[in-house]
Amino acid sequence: MSTTAPVPPPPAGPPAGAPPVTLDLSKSGPTPFGRLVTVEWRKMIDTRSGMWLLSITAGLLALVMGIIVLVVGLNGYQVDANGLSQGLSIPVSLLLPVFGILIVTSEWSQRTALTSFTLEPHRMKVLGAKLVAVSALAVATILLAIVLGVITNLLCAAVTGNPLQWDIEASQFLWTIISQLAFFAMGFALACLLLNTPGAISVFYIVALVLPIMLWGTLFALFDWAKDLLPWIDINTALAPLMSGADINGNTVAVEAINYVQGIWTVFLWVGIPVTLGLWRIRRAEVK
Amino acid sequence: MITVDRLTVSYGAFTAVDDVSFVAQPGRVTGFLGPNGAGKSTTMRVMVGLTPPTRGQVTIGGLRYHDIPNPARHVGSLLDASAQHAGRTGREILTLGAQTMGLPKARVDEMLDLVGLTDAEAKRRLRNYSLGMRQRLGIAHALLGDPSVLILDEPANGLDPAGIRWMRGLLKGYADRGGTVLLSSHLLHEVEQIADEMILIGHGRIVAQGDRKTLLAGASKGDITLVTSLDNAGLGAALTQAGHTVEPVGEGLKVAASTEQVGRVALDAGVVLTDLRSGGAGLEDLFLELTSGTAREAVPGVVPAPTPGGIPA
Repeated sequence: MSTTAPVPPPPAGPPAGAPPVTLDLSKSGPTPFGRLVTVEWRKMIDTRSGMWLLSITAGLLALVMGIIVLVVGLNGYQVDANGLSQGLSIPVSLLLPVFGILIVTSEWSQRTALTSFTLEPHRMKVLGAKLVAVSALAVATILLAIVLGVITNLLCAAVTGNPLQWDIEASQFLWTIISQLAFFAMGFALACLLLNTPGAISVFYIVALVLPIMLWGTLFALFDWAKDLLPWIDINTALAPLMSGADINGNTVAVEAINYVQGIWTVFLWVGIPVTLGLWRIRRAEVK
Repeated sequence: MITVDRLTVSYGAFTAVDDVSFVAQPGRVTGFLGPNGAGKSTTMRVMVGLTPPTRGQVTIGGLRYHDIPNPARHVGSLLDASAQHAGRTGREILTLGAQTMGLPKARVDEMLDLVGLTDAEAKRRLRNYSLGMRQRLGIAHALLGDPSVLILDEPANGLDPAGIRWMRGLLKGYADRGGTVLLSSHLLHEVEQIADEMILIGHGRIVAQGDRKTLLAGASKGDITLVTSLDNAGLGAALTQAGHTVEPVGEGLKVAASTEQVGRVALDAGVVLTDLRSGGAGLEDLFLELTSGTAREAVPGVVPAPTPGGIPA
């Protein structure tokens, strides 16, 4: 190509090595982490999709609560708090992980990562803020489920006239919360890895919901090898003995050290590995 | 001040930005010009840390973007006005930005006022925004933190003529107050009226840079003047006599001389001029010539023949 205009040498810039800082840095400190968390919290609920997800989760909670009271009232069953905590954790576990997925993937599908990572170029800090914000939401939802469980228990007692029972086991209750958070962290981890909303949601529901219900339970009941293998690859199967002292098909088992190892391993497999790879990917990604 | 220092960005075998160096000075508007795909946006993304450089670096005010605390308070950027959540309102998008930067809410209203988005428009969701409204919102977002450096990628895209004029005034005033402005465009006329300095890029390389005068001086291959007078024949004869090459063009004459020389000959010959202007390569020609190696236009000189009888049904 013929260049007719001379290309003048670039104006003499600051000497290489240590250019003088000419920005007035006094007007800003580093963005505090808490502020980023507040912003991420706001971003979860300021769109219609976010409001819908929250409303549907709340609606499902109310629905399950209503069904329990109705069934108990009609049949005169005695309910206990353990059963209630299990029942009401279903709506929470059903939709909440979607928040953990969307908070990451929507930045890519809506291309807001361009703004987010320009406002705060320390990308891991942004992702950390997202994790904290969405975990806070998860805990808040679980607390809401507990409150509703208490109310349901009171209603059931009122409807049936049975004595109130508050016999919830602390350890079972704790494990319910741990498994909720584990699944939800798994959604977040898969989202970081795939950076794609439909992909992350599909993989999450297949691994966390569809396979355990449709396949693992059957295999577990029929084959010895499945009994040995599945606790190493499925979080549900691994955590079941720890949560309730029974395997996924409801048979009582003695909890041993190996169950803890399996629990930690499966969480590492579905949370630790994808989140590590995913964060590595996000750190290096070109944001367009 | 933005300092781009020997920046190269490669994607495998393809080099999008090839050893680019330039400085955008404070108090000046620097225009970054080039055809589509020349590497402007890639260079700008490197500036704000969204694209990792393969080699070289960019510093803003002496710091890498990554090392500037709360960088949006210092560097306002608009890279893609459509890269916002379609379901958020304009006001919400600005509010999120202001909150992240730690600015008071009042700043959002100030910026909405500044870019001329009404209260009703600010309440609409981004998916219902026209491109021009998105650009205005993007400019508002870039100015939110009262930065001293502005990086705008194709900011005039989608703005109506009034909007473009408004933006020119805004950026000019901003530079006059000591700010550094870098704006890119693939349209020369958008930039040449406000840019104090122009960087022409094609095929990932800088092909020319300087202010308007320097660029034109480098481009001209001897003076050409276009002149029209009340007595073209008389003027032509006088010019030929003075030793200049003259040829008739349209209603006037094309002369191989400077406008001053032609004016003097006309004065001596007593011919009334009705039009006198420099006919040398304009900035537009220069721009096209310099970047033609990369432009996606048809091969020069080959005009596709019209289909006889129009487009067959």
